Amino acid sequence: MDPSQAESVAATTPTAAYVHIPFCRHRCGYCNFALVANRDYLIDRYLAALALELSRVIGRPHLHSLYLGGGTPSHLSDAQLAQLFTILRERLDWNAETEVTLEANPIDLQRDRSALFRELGINRVSLGVQSFQPAKLKILERDHSASQIARAVENCRKFARSISIDLIFATPSETAEQWHVDLELAQVLDIDHVSTYELTYEKGTRFWSRRSKGLQAEADEDLRCRMYDMAICSLTARGFEHYEISSFARPHHRPRHNQVYWSGAPYWGFGSSASGFLNGVRYTNAESTLRYIKLLESGERPVAHAHALPPIDLARELLAIGLRRLDGVGEREFQQVSGFTFAATAGPTLERLQNLKLIRGFHDGATAGDDTSPAVVKLTERGILLYDSVAVEIIAAATAADRDAADGPDDQGKSSG
Amino acid sequence: MSERYQDSIRNFCIIAHIDHGKSTLADRLLEVTGTVEKREMQDQLLDDLELERQRGITIKARAVCLAYERHGKKYELNLIDTPGHVDFHYEVSRSLACCEGALLLADAFQGVEAQTVANAYAAIEADLKIIPVINKIDLKHQRSDEVAFELHQSIGIDIDDIVKVSAKTGQNIIELLDTIVDRVPPPSGDPDGPLQAMVFDSHYDEFRGAVTYVRVMNGRIKKGQKLKYLRTGRTYDLIELGQFRPKQTPCDELQAGQVGYLICNIKSLDQIHIGDTVTHATGTSGEALPGYKPPKRMVYCGLYPSDGQDFVELRDALTKLSINDPSFEFTPESSDALGFGFRCGFLGLLHMEIVQQRLEGEADIDLVQTAPNVTYEIVKRNGEVIEIHRPQEVPDAGEILEFRQPIVRVNIIVPEEYIGAVMKLCNDRRGVQKNTEYLSATRMMLTYELPLAEVIYDLHDKLKGVSRGYATLDYELIGYQPADLVRVDMLVNGKRVDALSIICNRADADRRGRAVVKKLKDEIDRHMFEIAVQAAIGNRVIARETVKALKKNVTAKCYGGDITRKRKLWEKQKEGKKRMKSIGSVDIPQKAFMAVLSTGNEE
Repeated sequence: MDPSQAESVAATTPTAAYVHIPFCRHRCGYCNFALVANRDYLIDRYLAALALELSRVIGRPHLHSLYLGGGTPSHLSDAQLAQLFTILRERLDWNAETEVTLEANPIDLQRDRSALFRELGINRVSLGVQSFQPAKLKILERDHSASQIARAVENCRKFARSISIDLIFATPSETAEQWHVDLELAQVLDIDHVSTYELTYEKGTRFWSRRSKGLQAEADEDLRCRMYDMAICSLTARGFEHYEISSFARPHHRPRHNQVYWSGAPYWGFGSSASGFLNGVRYTNAESTLRYIKLLESGERPVAHAHALPPIDLARELLAIGLRRLDGVGEREFQQVSGFTFAATAGPTLERLQNLKLIRGFHDGATAGDDTSPAVVKLTERGILLYDSVAVEIIAAATAADRDAADGPDDQGKSSG
Repeated sequence: MSERYQDSIRNFCIIAHIDHGKSTLADRLLEVTGTVEKREMQDQLLDDLELERQRGITIKARAVCLAYERHGKKYELNLIDTPGHVDFHYEVSRSLACCEGALLLADAFQGVEAQTVANAYAAIEADLKIIPVINKIDLKHQRSDEVAFELHQSIGIDIDDIVKVSAKTGQNIIELLDTIVDRVPPPSGDPDGPLQAMVFDSHYDEFRGAVTYVRVMNGRIKKGQKLKYLRTGRTYDLIELGQFRPKQTPCDELQAGQVGYLICNIKSLDQIHIGDTVTHATGTSGEALPGYKPPKRMVYCGLYPSDGQDFVELRDALTKLSINDPSFEFTPESSDALGFGFRCGFLGLLHMEIVQQRLEGEADIDLVQTAPNVTYEIVKRNGEVIEIHRPQEVPDAGEILEFRQPIVRVNIIVPEEYIGAVMKLCNDRRGVQKNTEYLSATRMMLTYELPLAEVIYDLHDKLKGVSRGYATLDYELIGYQPADLVRVDMLVNGKRVDALSIICNRADADRRGRAVVKKLKDEIDRHMFEIAVQAAIGNRVIARETVKALKKNVTAKCYGGDITRKRKLWEKQKEGKKRMKSIGSVDIPQKAFMAVLSTGNEE
């Protein structure tokens, strides 16, 4: 399906947009995101290409959430950022109520840019902190120091109503004590939201190749479990709510933008490698920045692949992704969005997962008995730790119909010889 | 007395061990006789299956016609290529039936190998004139005098008959051609008798249909005639006949003694039977020639499509393959663990491997292959004798009177210094030593009787291992003998996995059982729950391993772009799951089905 067709359908016009800014000062060893380092001369051409992509948006839809991710959006100069927002404003509408998030590197917020940011309407910042400790930052190949982080947060406070930081754990040779220090230092800062990420080894990164050559060891499983548990205990003890597998927020600071992803609502993706979800179609733009620019410059669409999913697959995906929220997925809303009951989506799989004590709250309408309250399915504590396996089970769930189709043919082969 | 045309024909094949330079020699003969111009030469002209060139071996019989002129007389030399490996004995016998002579090729450094001996005996058996050839005399470390002595010792070759050549440099190739003309007898057979042409191979040409390879034994075939294939009884109009020079070159007539091809507008290869006789559809037709000895399948394994839906595709691919390779057979079977698939019989392990590769390469089918096993015989208490092609078929112990396994006679040729290691290996595998003889001062031939099951698992690899690659082996089936055998079942979380059962000697059951469950433990990914992997004889568990439950498997983020990435990852894992076989909600990877090959001797 052509996602551009979807753009004209008013009923499903998204109220969220993601804009990708692929430029970075340098590439960190663990990162496999679509970005370009040391290619700042492409920024102006890139912004022009973005304008071309946005020119396809019909009307001037109103947004509840605008998210600038990367790459490093804060790496743009003041003038370039102003230019970017002019481009966005031309095609998209937002107001003071709208959540406007900027992903930022602490190093880009050492000087006070609050006047500009306030003027642009940026009211939320997601800071790529990762750690406060020089040794760990060095291993992660980050270019900032602990004092720079403090200053960045201070500067953000001048314009942002919500500040989030990212922290990474289970880095090579990291101990539980080191992780404890990072968690403590994080809470000295005046922040509203924390995302904790276990280091993942992604194909194509330096970390990956070092690990495959045996030069770098992955933290062992028990330690990784312990570190995750430490994060939960430490942050919830200080008033952060653990509302999603890796996200913690002070009350009223859950970002709107991620809720969009997790609730199955449509959203736009603009820029190279950006993904969007329109009318049941997931699409992704060209990964390479230069390719993205060239496609638009030659009047073509920048979409690299678009995937229209059958409703049942969308339902399974919605359920799998929705389970990341620790409040769980309510069957009533789920059915409204997807058109399927839990039982029809993945009944036998959910039952099995529940028997394995990985999820709870699932009951098949037929067997619910007296319990007439609408079902809410949630991960259990063990289920949180095994979420990826749970998700694959749900995505790969077979319905009775699927199983019939997969059964062997009744037509038996003839023998030879 | 007038000169018969047949007197100018020589039909011969080359018998050689892998790597002894058969293809190079064939190339050189093509080049020296001008059959192929030097600039058109590409290595290994005859090996036209891609797999053959890749692996440097010959799988199918081929034929090429060389024009050679000596003292003003023109000769037609037909070289019929033969496979060298023990598994393809059957194909060798097809080639031998079309020839009057055989070049017995030995490497001037490596000397006589076990397969050389086996094939040489087959050629002598078929009354072929043997021309012993020692190749690679250009090698620095050549030891052709010793090799000559080995040929004398092992096969009884007269040392004075040996022609020493270098296929690489071309040295003595003319002499070899002269020797072929002088010593290989011209074909007998009556060009004016009723037509009998032996079908020794076929291939399918996309544009022209089936191409039949024949050796005319009696009579003659002319353009435009109507031909009858005796096996099917079908008649066809002959559209084209010709010879391979080495490309298909049409001619007007093929007569007794000649080798060539026929194109008859045959749409499908399954109408051509190797070993069949072609004769005239009208007039006096010839009798059917004695066909070939039907091939013996020594090794069986199950082949399953990795995705249940490819069953029909797999069946079509197997059918296609079996037409070109009648030595391979297949029958549908089903397994609780693997679904619908086929039990396939092969000539040997290499043959099995090649069929699998051709299926995956040519038909692009992803396969799950179960561990190979041999055919057993069981005498039941009620006197019935049954053949067991797979372990699942073994009846309850109470019903078995006698459990028999196939025994092979194995010839191993090995340098003297490795003799101790080889003997130990054979003894460990329950071998019974039958004979030891010196082929030369430094090389010996050992003869053992061994259970075929022990040979097919890994004897060849192990043999190469203990002899630094110098030992070679050949085997032939000599019959069935009773043995103390049991079926060992594998259980995954208490469920028996039929495709993982093995048959082994009772004394080895513990060791094999332990090895298999250990291997399975390594192959099965950790799940969200604990998995018990057990080996059992009947209800008695003899080995157990545990696959511990996963503790943490959660990646950090899941934002907009990540959903697409994650989706890809999930889809991949979902595909992976599909490719695995799910037994009691345990996903077992395909590789695990080969785990039963673990012998417990790996240390």
